[in-house]
Amino acid sequence: MVADKGKKPKIGEKIVEENAEQIDGELVLSIEKLQEVQDELEKINEEASDKVLEVEQKYNEVRKPVYDKRSDIIKSIPDFWLTAFLSHPVLSDLLSEEDQKIFKHLTSLEVEDCKDVKLGYSISFNFSPNPYFEDTKLTKTFTFLDEGTTKITATSIKWKEGMGVPNGVAHDHHDHKKKGNKRCHEEDSFFCWFSGTQQKDVMDEIHDEVAEIIREDLWTNPLTYFNNEADEEDGDEGDEEENGTDDSEEDDEDQEDDDEDEGN
Amino acid sequence: MVADKGKKPKVGVKIEEEGAEQIDGELVLSIEKLQEVQDELEKINEEASDKVLEVEQKYNVVRKPVYDKRSEIIKSIPDFWLTAFLSHPALSDLLFEEDQKIFKHLTSLEVEDFKDVKSGYSITFHFSPNPYFEDTKLIKTMTFLDDGTTKITATPIKWKEGMGLPNGVAHEKNGKKRSHEEDSFFSWFSETQSKDDVEDVHDSIAELIKEDLWVNPLTYFNNDADEEDFGDEDDEEDIGTDDSEEN
Repeated sequence: MVADKGKKPKIGEKIVEENAEQIDGELVLSIEKLQEVQDELEKINEEASDKVLEVEQKYNEVRKPVYDKRSDIIKSIPDFWLTAFLSHPVLSDLLSEEDQKIFKHLTSLEVEDCKDVKLGYSISFNFSPNPYFEDTKLTKTFTFLDEGTTKITATSIKWKEGMGVPNGVAHDHHDHKKKGNKRCHEEDSFFCWFSGTQQKDVMDEIHDEVAEIIREDLWTNPLTYFNNEADEEDGDEGDEEENGTDDSEEDDEDQEDDDEDEGN
Repeated sequence: MVADKGKKPKVGVKIEEEGAEQIDGELVLSIEKLQEVQDELEKINEEASDKVLEVEQKYNVVRKPVYDKRSEIIKSIPDFWLTAFLSHPALSDLLFEEDQKIFKHLTSLEVEDFKDVKSGYSITFHFSPNPYFEDTKLIKTMTFLDDGTTKITATPIKWKEGMGLPNGVAHEKNGKKRSHEEDSFFSWFSETQSKDDVEDVHDSIAELIKEDLWVNPLTYFNNDADEEDFGDEDDEEDIGTDDSEEN
């Protein structure tokens, strides 16, 4: 970084070069200092991220028993998740006729973050014994890898004989090479989405919207959606204090059915 | 919420109705309990959000003096922000020829969250006296309102005579210029939004500046420096050791 005065000067350039190298020297020093500051900032940012993660992990633990309690209550509401799915503006499009029949056997839904929140999460669909497949639990798992990609795995569905084809998911039980995205597109049906395990690359900005909606929207407050449908079907029970007090935008429709028109 | 047994029965429907209403009664009870649980969850979620905000507020306070120190160092690097802007894949497209000339007068950039972090932030561009406008400080502010919309305001630029037009920014009109065909820095800067606006425009440029450029401008500056053949001084240990993907 010492100004090199031994360069072969060209006509008119010598002085400029010497000055330039002196300036370059100071410049380099400044940039070094700047790099140190950036390193310092990076440490601070990592610490902040860790603290935020800690908070999220702590509250995940607080939420778990409440979600478990909720699961029990939901068991006494027939077709709860099916209704909630069908009332969700985006998710309803996902359920084909066949899917809806299968969903009559859906007993519960579970969304669970990995203990280390930033590693990923899973969505589990629990089914009662049914004529469609052997499994009673279908789980789709999202693992966030270090390089920014997301690894997706899903239970291989053990379809019963003759089942699965209408969903566009080939029922070739013997060919285990055909996994994941078969000939169907993920938006075609629930089971096409479920079985789609193509790795998502954060850089491509392709992410699993359905999974995100289920996790961040439906799972967080399914009652809002369930209520919408319940109200549309004739909500005469007069529960205006319970229905529609939720702060979701969906609730604006609820007010129309209430006897007391609060006029949100 | 008492099951109403006085409904007028229709032919063949009566028994079903009575059964249905009993079930409805239990159902309604379950839904009420469910609503209570949702309320409980909501409280927990609000508490979690508040705690996260607290962390972010605390670290903003820790970061501030470091950013100030950085600002000072940057002052001794000529055209730092201009270079960083031009080296950023998305932001470079924003600077037209005229903008680049104006940016030669840009002395510093500052991004600052509101104290409570969740209400918004501002981006401030400091300029030395220049032939383009009177202002030495141009601030663009994003305010996150309770209803979920974003209010966007920006310093009305006091253009000097004959200046401003080439950027597609008429020097009389304030804000609300949605001339996206000609996105230049100053047309972006002067775009404002009030809560009455029908369309809630998402300001991705502002976000890039705040979350990308401001966080580590050196990565971008270094790229440009490397390309220009800057690295003859044998400082390989410092330039390019940053962990950004650009490197």
